[in-house]
Amino acid sequence: MAVRLRAVAVLGVLLAVLSMGCSAKKKGAAAGAPGGGVGEEGLAAGSSLERYKQGTLGTGEEGPLKDIYFAFDSAELDEQARSILRDDASWLKDHSKAKVEIEGHCDERGTVEYNLALGTKRAGAAKEYVVALGISADRLTTISYGEELPLCHEHNEECWQKNRRAHFVILGE
Amino acid sequence: MRRMWWTLLVISLVMAGVRASDAQVRGTIFGPGARSYPVAVSPLRNLSAGGAAANFGTQFADIVSADLNLSGFFKLLDRAAYIEKPETSGYTADNINFDNWSVIGALALVKGAYSVSGDNVTAEVRLFDVYQRRQLAGVRYHGPLGELRRMANKFADEIMKQFTGERGPFDTRFAFVSTRGGKFKELYVMSPDGGDLQEVTRTQTINVSPSWSPDSHLLLYTSYKRRNPDLFVVDLASGRDVLVSSRPGLNLGGRFSPDGSKIALTIEDKGNADIAVVDRGGNLLRRVTDSWAIDVSPSWSPDGRRLAFTSNRSGAPQIYIVGVDGGETRRVTFSGTYNTSPAWSPKGDWIAYVSRADGGFNLFIVKVDGSDTRQLTQAAGNNEDPSWAPDGRYIVFSSSRTGRKKLFVTDLTGASQVQLTRGGGDDSSPAWSRWLE
Repeated sequence: MAVRLRAVAVLGVLLAVLSMGCSAKKKGAAAGAPGGGVGEEGLAAGSSLERYKQGTLGTGEEGPLKDIYFAFDSAELDEQARSILRDDASWLKDHSKAKVEIEGHCDERGTVEYNLALGTKRAGAAKEYVVALGISADRLTTISYGEELPLCHEHNEECWQKNRRAHFVILGE
Repeated sequence: MRRMWWTLLVISLVMAGVRASDAQVRGTIFGPGARSYPVAVSPLRNLSAGGAAANFGTQFADIVSADLNLSGFFKLLDRAAYIEKPETSGYTADNINFDNWSVIGALALVKGAYSVSGDNVTAEVRLFDVYQRRQLAGVRYHGPLGELRRMANKFADEIMKQFTGERGPFDTRFAFVSTRGGKFKELYVMSPDGGDLQEVTRTQTINVSPSWSPDSHLLLYTSYKRRNPDLFVVDLASGRDVLVSSRPGLNLGGRFSPDGSKIALTIEDKGNADIAVVDRGGNLLRRVTDSWAIDVSPSWSPDGRRLAFTSNRSGAPQIYIVGVDGGETRRVTFSGTYNTSPAWSPKGDWIAYVSRADGGFNLFIVKVDGSDTRQLTQAAGNNEDPSWAPDGRYIVFSSSRTGRKKLFVTDLTGASQVQLTRGGGDDSSPAWSRWLE
């Protein structure tokens, strides 16, 4: 039984890899991202998911676009977040070909599904603000990772605060 | 999986004229959590020539014991205290020395015998009332040796029926996600006794929210393996894995309707989570909610006409009920500022949910009309992800009370909370299947 199931799982993974290969190709073509942006497994090279897979999440992803932070169970932008987003928007104005994926993240508290929805809200709030500052919505995509990819792993507020973030990944310039 | 080709035959109920209602002790005398009813589950006697499949009888007893321990009704007597040797003693009412069992405090006794022929086994298992010195139930199983676990789980269900009037919830499976195999949450399934663990996915990406089809053959789950959180369905027997919904953004928390014809899930619209119902191919049938607020985690009523879900439309997450085909939306929870993860009980009477209370996250149940709120866990880490047993008497959930997240089973009073999984990694998002046949 175990053997059969393993064979079946391997087949499943193969199929998944094949289908990922296809979608990555399509996606790359559609986005017109020259040469980069979309990694060989269909992941944005610098995405938090890809970094987690590589074991490099939380190390050196500081780029020109800065993260913003949220209160518990909130997707509201405070003054500090808006200030950072204004800087991010002005960088995007200066780099008019850059496309960006905005990731919404949550701390570990609460429910996996609710936090995935909350992360969507957080990424969406950041996107909306940057669009309101004149950046074309076509250049901005969003994705939620909920509480799945924390930067900090201790169970205290200092740590949680770092995890409730919207993170910007530059897909290509 | 072999389950599909199961040829196990429950050949006969060796009833000896005893009906469930004749059992000496019923649910009114003791409840789960009381652990008041001492039972001895003796290894089955091996009648095979040459001692083939020598471990079968002990494994059978181990599985039945694990199931009964989960129920909270029984106190399992230590095998070291047994006077009789299972390999030589009698196993029918007229040749068991009941004094050997009453003297060690047993009120109920499980005994039996098995013989192996090729890859098949025939097992005859009986439940006795030690005090009245008579048989309460007897079942003869015949099937492949590999069906050991199902035979034992079925007999545990039968024991529960004899003592409580209702079949037990053990001839079932749990699905859950775990990081035991690496850094990512992958899907696993497991028998309620903790055995027969199988890895369903090895995707090396985020997988969340497994849930069963009503026939217990399929698992819905959300995976990032195509980069976006898409909804997939995997057939456990064939391993066939099919993309169901890949709308941009969330395709989250899919749940089959009770008749299996539809799937409720959370989708994303204009950057916000809403509840929708799709057909089995992922085609939109109905938008159930369309609000500016987060609407997430749908759970079907047993009649398939309503959905419980989480919404923060009041400013913080609370549990609501809405008609699948429209109609008014009604709020169910009013105490607490963070209530999520509704799970509608299979009998239709309760909704289990998670509330931020007492400095952590705890399990509650509330009547569907919003009355009679009961807290099942407290002061024991975070307790989340409730999923109902098919008999409506138990809930499996995840708890961090021992450090990492592990699976536990509770009764509806919280008095009996039994740990199911151990070891490394986090186990979470358990889903309890229906009965397997």
